[in-house]
Amino acid sequence: MRKRIGAVALLGIGLLAVSMAQNSRSSTLVYGGDFSDLISLDPGISYEFSGGLVTDNLYETLVKFEGEDLSTLKPGIAARWVVKDAGSSWKVTFNLASKKFASGNPVTAADVVYTFDRAIALKGNGSFLFDEVANMKIGSTKALGRSTVEVTLPKTASPAAFLNLLTFNIGGIVDSILVKSKAVGNDYGSEWLKRNSAGSGAFVLNRWDQNQQVVLDANPNSSLKAKLSRVILREMKEANTQKIALESGEIDIAENLTPDMVKAKATDAKFNVYKADSLRLQYLGMNTGTGSQFEDARVRQAVRWALDQDSMVNVLAGGNARKVQTIIPAGLFGFNASNPYSVNVEKAKGLLAAAGKPNGFEFEMLVPQGSCAAGVPCADLAAKIQSDLGKIGLKANIKQIVQSELLGIYRAQKAQMVLVGWSPDFPDPDGNATPMSDYGAKSLAWRNAWNNATASKLAQQAALEPNPAKRAALYKQLTELHLEEGPFAILYQPKVPVTLSTSVKGYLRNAQGQVRFEKISK
Amino acid sequence: MLSAVEAPKKQASKASKRFWRNPASIIGVVLLGLLLLIAVLATVISPDPIVQDLGQRLLPPSSQHLLGTDQLGRSVWGRVAHGASLSLQVGVVVTLISVTVGVLVGLLAGTFGGVWDNVLMRITDIFFAFPSLILAMAIAAALGPSLTNTIIAVAIVSWPSYARLVRAQAMALREREFVEAARAIGTSQISIAIRHVFPNTLTPVLIQASFDVGQAILTAAGLSFIGFGAQPPTPEWGAMVSETRNFISEAPWASSAPAIAILLAVLAFNLVGDGLRDALDPRNTR
Amino acid sequence: MLNYTIRRLFFVLFVVWGVSLATFFISQVVPGDPALVALGDKATDEMIANFRTKNGLDQPVVTQYFTYLGRLLKGDLGTSLRTGRPILDDLRDFFPGTLELSATALFIAALIGIPAGVLAALTQNKAPDIIVRLMALLGGATPIYWLAILLLEFLHNKLRLLPGPGRLDAYLIAPPRVTGFVGIDALIARDWEVFTDSLAHLILPAFVLGAFSSALLARMTRAAMLETMSQDYIRTAKAKGIAQSRVVIKHALRNAFLPVLTVLGGVLGGLLSGAVLTETIFSWPGVGRYTTDAAISLDFPAVMGVTLLAGMAYSLINLVTDLLYALFDPRITYA
Repeated sequence: MRKRIGAVALLGIGLLAVSMAQNSRSSTLVYGGDFSDLISLDPGISYEFSGGLVTDNLYETLVKFEGEDLSTLKPGIAARWVVKDAGSSWKVTFNLASKKFASGNPVTAADVVYTFDRAIALKGNGSFLFDEVANMKIGSTKALGRSTVEVTLPKTASPAAFLNLLTFNIGGIVDSILVKSKAVGNDYGSEWLKRNSAGSGAFVLNRWDQNQQVVLDANPNSSLKAKLSRVILREMKEANTQKIALESGEIDIAENLTPDMVKAKATDAKFNVYKADSLRLQYLGMNTGTGSQFEDARVRQAVRWALDQDSMVNVLAGGNARKVQTIIPAGLFGFNASNPYSVNVEKAKGLLAAAGKPNGFEFEMLVPQGSCAAGVPCADLAAKIQSDLGKIGLKANIKQIVQSELLGIYRAQKAQMVLVGWSPDFPDPDGNATPMSDYGAKSLAWRNAWNNATASKLAQQAALEPNPAKRAALYKQLTELHLEEGPFAILYQPKVPVTLSTSVKGYLRNAQGQVRFEKISK
Repeated sequence: MLSAVEAPKKQASKASKRFWRNPASIIGVVLLGLLLLIAVLATVISPDPIVQDLGQRLLPPSSQHLLGTDQLGRSVWGRVAHGASLSLQVGVVVTLISVTVGVLVGLLAGTFGGVWDNVLMRITDIFFAFPSLILAMAIAAALGPSLTNTIIAVAIVSWPSYARLVRAQAMALREREFVEAARAIGTSQISIAIRHVFPNTLTPVLIQASFDVGQAILTAAGLSFIGFGAQPPTPEWGAMVSETRNFISEAPWASSAPAIAILLAVLAFNLVGDGLRDALDPRNTR
Repeated sequence: MLNYTIRRLFFVLFVVWGVSLATFFISQVVPGDPALVALGDKATDEMIANFRTKNGLDQPVVTQYFTYLGRLLKGDLGTSLRTGRPILDDLRDFFPGTLELSATALFIAALIGIPAGVLAALTQNKAPDIIVRLMALLGGATPIYWLAILLLEFLHNKLRLLPGPGRLDAYLIAPPRVTGFVGIDALIARDWEVFTDSLAHLILPAFVLGAFSSALLARMTRAAMLETMSQDYIRTAKAKGIAQSRVVIKHALRNAFLPVLTVLGGVLGGLLSGAVLTETIFSWPGVGRYTTDAAISLDFPAVMGVTLLAGMAYSLINLVTDLLYALFDPRITYA
């Protein structure tokens, strides 16, 4: 009997807590997602997706994209900017608007210089954007007075690419007075900035409990006026957990529902589904090295004729993806919409026979754990591919391994076939074209041992071609070459379906995953 | 415990009578028989576990699909049935390995004593100090996910209990008359261990082993659930629960069927273990 | 007794050393490159080379082991490849969550298991006994993750009886961290809403985590009770006409306590294993989830750190149960 009373009391506490929690939720947004990749909130260090989502709202960048648009740069901290050809180099000059950090300090040219030099010195995972893509060094950025900054770039870098990558979180301007005061030894305050904020963005960091939540509060000193007073990012790894929490009203936004859950929510009047664009491509990489099963381009074509992309897009991804067969994603300059391949078992078998493999062969397909693009479990996608390839006599043995182990094998050119994804580092076709085509870039083409001189040359030419028409022609040539001979079978370009409670207004997400919380209301 | 000197036949028949009179052990044996039957006849009585039909996804149980279909339109019954032999194999192989290693270590330590005993038992202690699933997870992660590696990982965490069990038995037997007599007439230590000590440890080892097959199935399925087990599309039960867990609202059968299969398999071995203990070790009757 | 305790403490040290050796060995056969774990896909060869030098990965294995051991002796468990933080700091953040959950699970397990076992023993072979035994059998065979998914779906999602995943409702802000235990911190801050909410959030995961242990405890209690009840002095007491309930409480329960205590030590070890699965499903920020995340990303320094601390905790718990055993049973003495 006493036990029963105890149980009733416990249940009572449960009910009480559930009801009490209904109160304090007027101007707070709770955003549910898998934020387990969050390791630092320092804009100069963070390169992971979740880090970007948070720091984009804590810091402002010199220039920025607005809404879903990724083609027009808008003023951020910089009110105006000019690119000048200075003969042996490019000079990019920024005139800063009058803004304040959360601390009350004004945003000055010195802060910009400190931010850029700091990011290069810290050598974080995203620092290659500054030192390798933009070819910047410590000292490239100079303050010309209190509110004017000049960045000098060598002619090997593209000023357009530089301006683009300033929109990333690594370009988030930090409060140099505050950060310097928190620096320990040679760390540029990065230990402190990991868990604190020092920006001029619409929000400030209230607290971050690892693997639990990030709490952001509106920044009263920011020129960006937030409609919400608080945003809580609640970490929920399991799709089902997010679904349950969304249904019970505990969270307002769920980011990682499975395609089936999204489909169900799309027809539910209580929820809206927002499908954000993404520049990611899910693909199969085939090792073309000498002696490899996939050395002959006809075998790679056979694979493409075997893949049932329509089912992957419509069934596995629940329609939250686009069928793509070329290497530049839709939404970027140079996208080639042609989809010449469809399921044709006879043709595939013919190509295999022509390549001297009429009876097919057996090989290992490396697959990462967890979810692939568009929330499709990699295990399911792999099983589907295995089933498709089986129809033309290719026997894929699935080996699902940890991401870092897979990368180790892939990067050593030792994978036969991999099922992975790729996102360009900045919204420019070169973010895909060079890594996927230029063997010398030691990236994806290299990993698949695909050494094609024509492809390398086309990618290099296209990257620096200033004339849009000529550039477009070069990319058309390159994507067509890939369709015939390339080492990749592109599967699809995902959408990112975000499920929101109908009370949430103003949610927008661009293809780089940036969401401006200040525009959201509830 | 039992001693080899007593009339073994009479005792065995007594034990067997006790075993079969116990309804729990009969249920256990029947469950186990059923499981074996399904495992052996899987290809005959159930559809292919790998073949997909994306037009037939997440269908509820019906006359056409006995346990419904999963997210790729595969037959859940086919997958559960084909998974039976995998899980049984994992359980049995893990137990065979851990019994072999554990008995060997325990015999060596218990018979020779001294330095052997010290070294071997300290190693055993170290293995005991690991939280089993975490160690198994670490090993499986290090070796890479595959069913074979799961077996190795689970075996590594389960052998020490046999070592302790057998050593305790061997220590107790060392003082017994028939062992002392054998030693007196100059029988070598090794042959004493093999001929006198080993047979006498069989009963407790058998009892422990029958429980452990079930535990091994449970642990291995747990590893698969986290992602350190069978490779897709292998119809391993733990992996099936994991792959279908997000469909618990729309298609509860897809994850519940393999989970209940795990439950029944573990239950079967536990019941048989209970029955064996009650029958062979009457002093311990509950 | 003191001598014995000191000897045992040395033994704990020895075991921890053994565990460190074993985990170090395992970490050496890990297929993934730690540099890639830490730096990710876009790392350049130069970054990887720098990382390897910085972390001594280019040194011979033996040197690496002694460096590792040297750091351990200074109480430094190393740096996690995944979070980039000292492992000790990570564990300090996550340990209270697991302790909170395990302690509640143990409490629930004892609350259900021991009375159920007593009840079963007193009604041997009658309906209550059979029901308890059946439940215990089922509890011992159910995959814990399935139980978690099922209860979450029905008790939380469908019936809304109990709060679901997480330690606190999303709209509640945890009190300032003092102990790391949300409930206790809430008491310190006198935040009753957070306090009750944190308790409510514990019920479901703790019940799931404790299910296996309560089955085990019920079985052990029942067996131990039957054993003592069949012993002569209890029979004598019964014959003397002392009321059954008093007999049970005074003699049988006290004697049955010892074997149950032994299981309790093992149960605590089992809880950590169970936490691995429960915490993942309940989005519970604890050591179990931390370890799973670490293992899945091949963050072996973190896995090694957890294993080491768990091994130490397990050995200490065993020591404590053994000492308690001596305290409760005057027949046992340790020299």
